[in-house]
Order: sequence, then C-alpha cells, then structure tokens
Amino acid sequence: MKSEVERLDRVFAALADPTRRAILVRLAASEATVSELAAPFRLSQPTISKHLKVLQAAGFIERGRDAQRRPRKLVAAALKDVADWVEPFRRQWEARLDNLDRHLETLNKKEEPRAAKEPNRRRYQHRS
Amino acid sequence: MLPKSRTVADTNIVVDTDAHTIVLTRVLRASCAQVFEAWTQPEQVRCWWDPSGRPLAECVIDLRPGGAFRFVSGHGTDTYEFAGIYREIAPPGRLTFIAMGATGRVMLEEIRGKTHLTVRIECGSASHLDDYLKMGVDAGTARTLDNLVAYVAAGDR
Repeated sequence: MKSEVERLDRVFAALADPTRRAILVRLAASEATVSELAAPFRLSQPTISKHLKVLQAAGFIERGRDAQRRPRKLVAAALKDVADWVEPFRRQWEARLDNLDRHLETLNKKEEPRAAKEPNRRRYQHRS
Repeated sequence: MLPKSRTVADTNIVVDTDAHTIVLTRVLRASCAQVFEAWTQPEQVRCWWDPSGRPLAECVIDLRPGGAFRFVSGHGTDTYEFAGIYREIAPPGRLTFIAMGATGRVMLEEIRGKTHLTVRIECGSASHLDDYLKMGVDAGTARTLDNLVAYVAAGDR
C-alpha cells in the first residue's frame, strides 16, 4: 500500500515538469535517442539525461532494443495508469453535472411562479 | 429521479499534480443565480448530487460561513456521505467549503446567458490527492469500481 503511494508520488513528480511532459509527447510519436530528445530544448544532454532518469524511475519510459543508439521509448501502460486513476472520479462528476444540467433545465421549464415563497435560508433539513 | 435525456460528455477535468489540485469545468444552461441556488438549497441539491440521479437520502445544509452540510446517498445498507463545512458564501459567483480535508471552490461566471461552472478541489499533498480521488468514489462503501460503473450507466443512460 505504501509502495503504491510512493509509486504515485514518483508518477506525479515526473509529470509535474513541463520539459518532461514535452519529452513524453515527443516519445509518443516515436522512440528517440538522448541527443534527438535534447535537440528541441535548449538543454544540455546531461540535463536531459536527468529528466529521462526521473521518467524512467516513474515507469514512463524504457530503453529501446538498439544497444548502439540506446533510444528511449514510451511505456504506454504507465500513461494509461494515470488516466485510469482519474477515470472513476471523472465519471462520477460527469454524471453529477449531467444531473445538475438536467435539473436546471426542468426548473427553467416550470419557471416563474417560484419567487413567491423564498425559503428560510438558515438551517433547514430534508429527509426522506 | 431526473428525466433521462442524452447529454454530451462535456465536463473538462484537469488534474494538476504539482499543485495537488483537481479542476472541473462545465457550461450549464442557466443563470449564475439559478446555479448558485442549485448548489445551496437542500431541496435542489438532493435532486442532482448523487451520480445515479436518485434523490439523496438526506441533505442538510446550514448555509453560513462555518455552517455544516451533509449529503447522504443511500441505497439500502450501502450509503455514502459527503460532508463538510462552508467557508465562504458569496452569491451568485462563489461558494467555498472544506470537505474530506480538501478545499472545494465553486466558481460561477455568466457568459451570454450560460453559466461557466468551475469546481476547484485543492488537496494538501500528492498522496492526499490520491486519497481524495479514491475516496470521492468509494470511501465508506462496499461499492467496487465495477459496481460504480454499472450504477452510473444504469442511472444515466
């Protein structure tokens, strides 16, 4: 359980940096070597390597097969993990706000004679 | 139970792991004042809060800074409660509360007759954010993820 929290911390920390997110976007297109990855950023190769190390520790990237070029490639499953983590929450709010939208729509349909009884705003309670 | 009309899936959710914040945005077809009332009058909240579309079993609102609220979804022995304390009540644009250890900010802005709703949930840390996302879904219930999916699907489609 603790290690799961630590893993998520690593995942979040890895994603919290714009350069690292840009690297992931680049790797989503195709695998790339460290120098290829460094090219679009005005950063030294050691700096890029440091970012890559963080991404690798979080499970986002791995080394490709070519031993000479040592390309890095994206681990799609890790990104899916992040999406899956948010999904139930997103789904819950989606349903809730759909409800709110429909509720407001029904209100607007039978609108108008509503202003007559303005309820007491202080502590009221409804049970069913 | 709310009428079952098809709606487009248009809730935008952004998780800022750096700031430990979740931001949800949505455009609603109503005025700010109406949306604010829908968030703060118990007889209205009970109609829409539960993702299934079923009315809440219990909805208590003490609408003042420091006042408590309690939204209980009840389905047999399986109940889920969302409870907290209001911090700021500034109709029609702003409502702030503390719930489950996080700060929730509801911000409303009217643009061309529609209300742009932003719900901002600020957690204390990355692991708290993680807890919040999980708890928001199934804390205090025996409900599994699969159940939840079936449950939302049944209520919504």
